[in-house]
Amino acid sequence: MVRVKLALLVTFLLASSTSAAEPYVPGGPVEAEYETFAKTFLVKHCADCHGETEPEGNLSLVDLGPVDEVNSGTWKAVWAQVTLKEMPPEDADQPDVVERLRFSDWVVGELTRVMADRGGFHAHRDPDKGNFVDHALLFGPLPEGVKLVPTSSPARLWRVTREEHVTRLNELINTEPAYDPAKPGLRTRGDVVPTNHGGELKIYFGTDRIIKWQGGTVAYATSVKSLPAILSSARDHGLENYPDFYTVNSAEATQIMGAAGDLIRYMAYGPLSIANPEQITDDPNTYKMVGDIRGLPTALVYSTKVTRPMTPVYDLFAEEGVTEERLRAAVDHLFEALTFRPPSKEESDAYLAICRQSVEKLGKEDGAVLGLSAVFLDRDALFRPELAKNGTPDEHGRVMLQDWELGLAVNHALSYVQPDETLRKAVLDGRMRTREDVRREVERMLADDGIRKPRLLQFFRDFFDYDLGGYICKDSVALAKTGASNRGQSHYRAMFDATASTDRLIELVLEKDQDVLRELLTTRQVVATNTDRTYFGTKRSPEEKKAAQAEQRKRDAEAAAKAAAELAAIEAEIAELEATVKADGPDAKAAERTLGRKKKELANAKKRVDQAKRRRRGGPNLDVAPADLDGPKIYARVSRRSFGNGSMKPDRILATAPENRLGILTHPSWLVSHSDAMDNHAIHRGKWIRERLLGGGIPDVPITVDAMLPDEPQNTLRERMRVTREEYCWSCHQKMDPLGLPFEMFNHAGIHRTTELGKPVDTSGEIIGSGDPALDGPVESAVEMIEKLAESQRVEQVFVRHAFRFWMGRNETIHDGPVLREAWHAYRDNGGSMDALFVSLLTSDAFLYRRVEGATKVTAAPRP
Amino acid sequence: MLNRRTALKGLAAGVGAAFGTSMLPGLAGAAKSTGGGPKRIIFFLQNQGFDPKTCVPAGMTSSGSLAKAVLPEPISPLEPFKDRLHIVNGLHGTHTSPSHSAFFGALGGYRGGDGVPPSASTIDYELSKELPETLLPHLCIGMDSIENMTTKPTVANLSASGAGQPIFMYSDPNQLYQTLYGGISTGAIRQQHEARSSVMTQIEQLAAAKGEALPTADGQRYGQYVQGFRDVNGLRDRLDTVSDHLRKFAPKVDDRYTNPEFETDWHDCLLDLGISSLTSGITNTLTIGSGRGEIFGAWKGLGVEQQGHNLGHMKQPDNPIWIKIRQYNSRMLVRMMETLESVPEGSGTMMDNTLIVYTSNNADSQHTSGANWPVMLLGNCGGIFKTGCFTQMDTKRPINALYTTLLNVAGRNVDDFNMTEQLAKKFDSGSGPLREVLA
Repeated sequence: MVRVKLALLVTFLLASSTSAAEPYVPGGPVEAEYETFAKTFLVKHCADCHGETEPEGNLSLVDLGPVDEVNSGTWKAVWAQVTLKEMPPEDADQPDVVERLRFSDWVVGELTRVMADRGGFHAHRDPDKGNFVDHALLFGPLPEGVKLVPTSSPARLWRVTREEHVTRLNELINTEPAYDPAKPGLRTRGDVVPTNHGGELKIYFGTDRIIKWQGGTVAYATSVKSLPAILSSARDHGLENYPDFYTVNSAEATQIMGAAGDLIRYMAYGPLSIANPEQITDDPNTYKMVGDIRGLPTALVYSTKVTRPMTPVYDLFAEEGVTEERLRAAVDHLFEALTFRPPSKEESDAYLAICRQSVEKLGKEDGAVLGLSAVFLDRDALFRPELAKNGTPDEHGRVMLQDWELGLAVNHALSYVQPDETLRKAVLDGRMRTREDVRREVERMLADDGIRKPRLLQFFRDFFDYDLGGYICKDSVALAKTGASNRGQSHYRAMFDATASTDRLIELVLEKDQDVLRELLTTRQVVATNTDRTYFGTKRSPEEKKAAQAEQRKRDAEAAAKAAAELAAIEAEIAELEATVKADGPDAKAAERTLGRKKKELANAKKRVDQAKRRRRGGPNLDVAPADLDGPKIYARVSRRSFGNGSMKPDRILATAPENRLGILTHPSWLVSHSDAMDNHAIHRGKWIRERLLGGGIPDVPITVDAMLPDEPQNTLRERMRVTREEYCWSCHQKMDPLGLPFEMFNHAGIHRTTELGKPVDTSGEIIGSGDPALDGPVESAVEMIEKLAESQRVEQVFVRHAFRFWMGRNETIHDGPVLREAWHAYRDNGGSMDALFVSLLTSDAFLYRRVEGATKVTAAPRP
Repeated sequence: MLNRRTALKGLAAGVGAAFGTSMLPGLAGAAKSTGGGPKRIIFFLQNQGFDPKTCVPAGMTSSGSLAKAVLPEPISPLEPFKDRLHIVNGLHGTHTSPSHSAFFGALGGYRGGDGVPPSASTIDYELSKELPETLLPHLCIGMDSIENMTTKPTVANLSASGAGQPIFMYSDPNQLYQTLYGGISTGAIRQQHEARSSVMTQIEQLAAAKGEALPTADGQRYGQYVQGFRDVNGLRDRLDTVSDHLRKFAPKVDDRYTNPEFETDWHDCLLDLGISSLTSGITNTLTIGSGRGEIFGAWKGLGVEQQGHNLGHMKQPDNPIWIKIRQYNSRMLVRMMETLESVPEGSGTMMDNTLIVYTSNNADSQHTSGANWPVMLLGNCGGIFKTGCFTQMDTKRPINALYTTLLNVAGRNVDDFNMTEQLAKKFDSGSGPLREVLA
């Protein structure tokens, strides 16, 4: 009965619909009603399967009705399925391109309207959904009936990222070393503040002046003053959307206000703001630490050498009294240090007035600290505006960014510190107003290694997701089974080290700037620590371990025998000498001297034997055949001293990885970042390949799905993943699982393995429905799959899409197709040059132009 | 994602100065009724571990009543209150890596460590959202050596509002007093309060001025930023307007605030402020970190000359030093109970609707696997919790199970807290609330 009703309706609606005479401009509002538009689509394309009786997936769309708060979840799912071309199914009649685009736009418009007061609808702006725009529409020929308009981005405010904010605040109190071309890997000014030994992002006060402390690593970590990052971020996989999804809440604002006081006092007084005068000396012996004061701030000695930046804030506090000139200089300095541009006269006056009032109320010291703290909460210290208020709209209604907004947009695309003098001058001289101005500055900055580019590195972190390994909490027993050490924090420390190593490897690839993506996917180079010999090694099978143990015992026995022989020889000599001394009496002076020497030699030899015994008791890690990693010494960027002598060390080697590794996706940093407490995460790995390399989209997991694998320790992950092959799950999982399972050649600590649960490990997989028929087909291992992917043009294009998303701060639309194609050609035509891709993106309309739409006035509420 | 609800959640994460937006009624009559369950909760975490021998009565090896038992010397001050005490031994926290402190993991029930950021919110923060709304949803105070409290008056080691979102503890009683009672203060604190109020008001105005004519979407997002200042300033104004009410509860500022002889003077002041924030109805959740979640701390005011790390290397049972510290803790617990008992609420007193959770951020000792995590619960909250008893668990259920219980009792029906099903299979022999602690 229902089928009949629907069929009649289809007939009627089809008859009454009119074909669009005008070309369709996607992305705009679709003025249409549910009854006459959306229902038509549902009836025509969905009703057969999702009718009233036994609907597919237990989802009936018969009574869905217009979008409202209650059915918004279902509509969101419909939007995802239709937009991703998951529905209608392949064997059904398909809507044409325009029909699908219009329907998708209508649903987004309706969800946006309906959810406006209920938290809003943001899914289409989530970078994870960027691939919802069909790749063919961006890189293929423009379909008939679709019209593009010149692109631009919305006028907006970007919330400052937490890394940017921490680096900005760090600049106030710490002088990082200048770039040294002889040691290019060492952390220098302009590099991001790295996370510390435990993975926490913190600013440290005065650690470069600490010359002595009482206690060990934990005591040191407790004694030093530090400030954790305050601004929030999701710290999860993938790109973030700072222009749309982030703000600053009152808790963060309050904390920033508190932190500001500490920073200003340190700017003024240096370590004296956190230590007693007697603790500041170049002769640590003059400061007597009485008793056990480990963990106290008084357990530190600071050198007298001034290392912090000396600024007008210092001058203000160093001078007796308060003059308007000094106060204004401090305000203006802080304002530019925090917002990266000089204050306007009004801004300077406003903060000066606040400072004056505070000083009047509290006196100079407390008053100036409180007043200056206000600058830390200026809008532009926490948000970067791209409002394009001063330009003239072009014929398409777009306004080009200019002056400070454009200068800071360019600066932000690469850097976390203030624009250098050249860029600053360009802005002030009115030479940041054209596309050519941008090209000039971008090319200049890219060519200057002294201008550090942490934002570039952040893109690769966000794109590859290799920086989460240290945050994956491992089950201790499961970790031990991988062959990695499960003692204390050693695995987590190794993972934070691995992140820094991968950072450095990416920088090395960027230095060459040739075939960057392919190189990252296939490089045999590896930046490594000593510990990486294990992590890049191969897990031994039980038989191999037994053989290694036997070999080790043999070596130990040989070493012990050699040591015993050495001792026996010395002892024999001593016995002989003693006999000589006894026999010759006072005439044996020379023999006595030799005897004394030999006895010392014997004591040293015994000590060496004891040490060797102790080492043997600890024993080498025989669970893993270590990788043979060797090469020149280089450096990686690590935190300031955060954990005393146990702090992260920058020393690395640049080595060649074993044959079973190929590129970053086979490095422990990436593999562990895509694992869980107990095992590999083949689904995450497959999802990553699908989205980041193939440009595919995966709809959200339906809430009705209990996404759990069976707990069967006797079975491999591949065997346990059989549940995802059930029909309802497989339509999505076929896009992920066969891409993730080839990585089973590594265990969940990233160590290579040839067996799993006593059997040869199965590393097979398949590329299905990639969008590039040349790619599709089975693969025998992750290495083979990566080799195929690295050769694909589509993969390059998807990489370009992600770069666009990152630097434009928004998802691409169909109108960005020309920008994307040009950027891809720039990359390709210049031999896979990241610099060329970057210049192309930053000189594109999407980067330069803003669309200024409806404005809202934000006002302070009346005082209660 | 960005709405009023999430904005308010963000507020609760403040520097102890988490500024909520409830109105006066929430404060005037103390907490409003929710028809059962706790109305406020206190977490008291002493660092360096809580050895079960210092709290389980001698000879008690299995669960039973405390009526005829004598409490061990370290917690002897609780003897008169043992009818409202429940000693729970045998929970575990092996998954939290508690050796040298689990840090955020102690209240989060997840892996923590020195320098490791929180991987999720902690139980105190989550409960603060479930309990009857108050002006300040959550207050954290931290007790340490005087040097640490003056040089680093705010640190964040124990509480968090989400992944990577630590909540700071207050350690300088002068700052905390200014925040809570600036409106009724005098002298230097008053001056500070007024100056700060003026600056914050001007910051709000400047922030609002820069929000004019923003694009619609940004206007909403930036509006939340401006709203944050309104909330901060609004709370201060509201506290000022109920100053007569607050005056009844605010502790008296004396020399201990400005010239402490020992760190314990400030510990006492902080405790007074913490208790007053509950009795005045300013907050519903108080977290006390004695030792601030690290492995140091000092108690010279008790005659304990050793400080810091060495205290953790000592055995606690029969150790005069640890008896002094634990008795000091116990006297603090008694002070909280007696004060809350002195304030009427409904047909009873505030203590009738309060639960105190006493434990350590280090499980049972400083160097520990976390295989045993002793906890003391004080208060029955209208008969919901078992009291007057000792319960010996089998070390198969994690501290997360206790936190799950608290959430359920507070009104959020959940089967677990910060524990995935996968981890639960390994670390939790059961599921849902701990029946053993419920009446």
